[in-house]
Amino acid sequence: MRADRSWLSGTNGRVAGAFLVALMLHLAGTLLIPGYSAPFAIRAILVLAALLAVASIGQTLVVILGGIDLSIPFVIGFANVVAAQLYGQGWNFGLVCLLVAVLALGIGALNGLISRGLNIHPLIVTLGIGMIVQGLVLLWTKGFPSGSAPQAVSSFVSIGGSVGPLPVPWLVPCLVVLTAMVVVVLARTPYGRRLYALGSNPGAAPLALIDPVRMWVATYAASAFFAAVAGVLLLGFTGSAYGDVGQPYLFQTIAAVVVGGAALVGGRGSYLGTVAGALVLTEINTLLIGLGFQPAAVQAALGLIIVLLVSLYGRERHVSTTI
Amino acid sequence: MSGGKFLSALGSAGFAMILLGVLLAANLLLNPVRFQPAGWGTLMGLAAPLIGAAAASTPVILAGRGGIDISVGPLMGFINAVVIQVLFLNAGIASPLVIVPAALLLGAAVGAVNGFMATVVRIQPIVATLGTYLVLAGVTLTILPAPIGPAPGWLKAMAGPISIVPLAAIFLFWWAIRQTPYYDQLMAVGSDDRAAFTAGVPVGKVRFIAYVITGILAAVAGLMLTALIGSADPNIGANYTLIAIAAAALGGVSLAGGRGGLAGAAIGAIVIFLLQSLLTAFNVSTYVLQIAYGTILVLAVMLTAVQDRLAARRAVR
Repeated sequence: MRADRSWLSGTNGRVAGAFLVALMLHLAGTLLIPGYSAPFAIRAILVLAALLAVASIGQTLVVILGGIDLSIPFVIGFANVVAAQLYGQGWNFGLVCLLVAVLALGIGALNGLISRGLNIHPLIVTLGIGMIVQGLVLLWTKGFPSGSAPQAVSSFVSIGGSVGPLPVPWLVPCLVVLTAMVVVVLARTPYGRRLYALGSNPGAAPLALIDPVRMWVATYAASAFFAAVAGVLLLGFTGSAYGDVGQPYLFQTIAAVVVGGAALVGGRGSYLGTVAGALVLTEINTLLIGLGFQPAAVQAALGLIIVLLVSLYGRERHVSTTI
Repeated sequence: MSGGKFLSALGSAGFAMILLGVLLAANLLLNPVRFQPAGWGTLMGLAAPLIGAAAASTPVILAGRGGIDISVGPLMGFINAVVIQVLFLNAGIASPLVIVPAALLLGAAVGAVNGFMATVVRIQPIVATLGTYLVLAGVTLTILPAPIGPAPGWLKAMAGPISIVPLAAIFLFWWAIRQTPYYDQLMAVGSDDRAAFTAGVPVGKVRFIAYVITGILAAVAGLMLTALIGSADPNIGANYTLIAIAAAALGGVSLAGGRGGLAGAAIGAIVIFLLQSLLTAFNVSTYVLQIAYGTILVLAVMLTAVQDRLAARRAVR
């Protein structure tokens, strides 16, 4: 019981730390750059962070399970292009979303089935499946996707949007609700319990009658589903279809999860932490661009800061303490 | 190095060997002009950077517990940029006696930084090397905003049949490591680090050295890449990272650590190269190529896993 409590405080500490870092970065930006805390700038940061947070839901679940999902950027691109293309051909948008969701769930389930069913490292499987998905999309659109998002999706994510008196688009309050739902699912449902159990001890969990293959299939399907949601939202954000729109999310989702305090060996992590991680990454990016760095320098600085942050509160245990 | 050890190393590549044979035969049948014996040197030069990248990715993976170095590709690009832009064009140094040691030293230094982060600071390897990945890619773009050339003559000459020299150097280096007790410690740490630690193996030090070896091999791969393209290109290196890790996995290097070797990784890389050249020979659109490429990669690792499972069942009986 005591060990359980210290584990909890450890995770909460990491999450609080990540939020604190985001806050400090924001204060630094406000001091250094005029207009950094202007309402429009804050809304932009919130929307960008929310998009990253949606794309990172799946990565969080998969990482808790002890896996990794490199197919997220490809599924984002797939959903983005397919939704735009079909909507442009006059399909009902609800039907389009349903189809994209079903296909994404299938892609994710296949990832989980192959990785766990045959015990192959998910890094290779998700990369291969992702490449196939991207190739199929390119083949279908002949490399030139067309179409656009319905107005509703665009205003759902628009930086200038508002929810009644709140000066943020619907995406932000929806993400808050979604976050609460994910947190409850992880903490209060049998699925969440099984996820942590399987992640922290893949050998013992099956003895507690947890079916590993089923868990992996369900979790990777969820990961692809949320990647597809992010893809459709990005369609609304950018206005037109673009197959490579997900590429920046390849490493950013992993970085957000890790900055949020999850361990890539599994069994540890929380979605609240990932949301904090997404905020931290967005703040860093905005701050560095605001300071006038070139994109290449921003990338280099981002690398340094990720390492610095993780070395502050994301360190692994020494092998001598694992015996 | 006994024959048996070598055979067992090949055996762990298992399915990749069969695939290698099939793909080679298919290439010879369908693309006889490109694959005539006189062209083999050129082909080797084309495959060399990927073979080098796959070999470089292997030592840290062997060290286990999530050990992986995703900065191998950007490090190759960084070496490429430094050798051409900084050493050759800016400082006017063309001598291999300066360029080669400088590249190896840079590689070892980057490897040491990765090793320090992964073993002393104890950041998860994929995150630590992701940091290095972003820094190296950013710095490469800063010193070399656009592709530039040419490369020194001796380096360009290494693109064809002479690419056997750096490749041989990599495998001699690894063969020498296999003669030392370090190799056994590396495999012990990779299979079960806790058992190795209790047996007195300095786990952190062994892993640190694995990162340095990876850095040095990545530098050689970067030189081979420079030889092949005969110029400097800031965007080419990063592409090698994931495909190199896939090649190693295809060649029987277990991503869980402790199983496989450089020979297997090289076979995996050659398989991927043959696959690419076969698909290109069919003259299909690049989209179909990518689908086929991904499908065969997934099928190949699946079949390898099935074969492993069957072998394990046989061993139990």
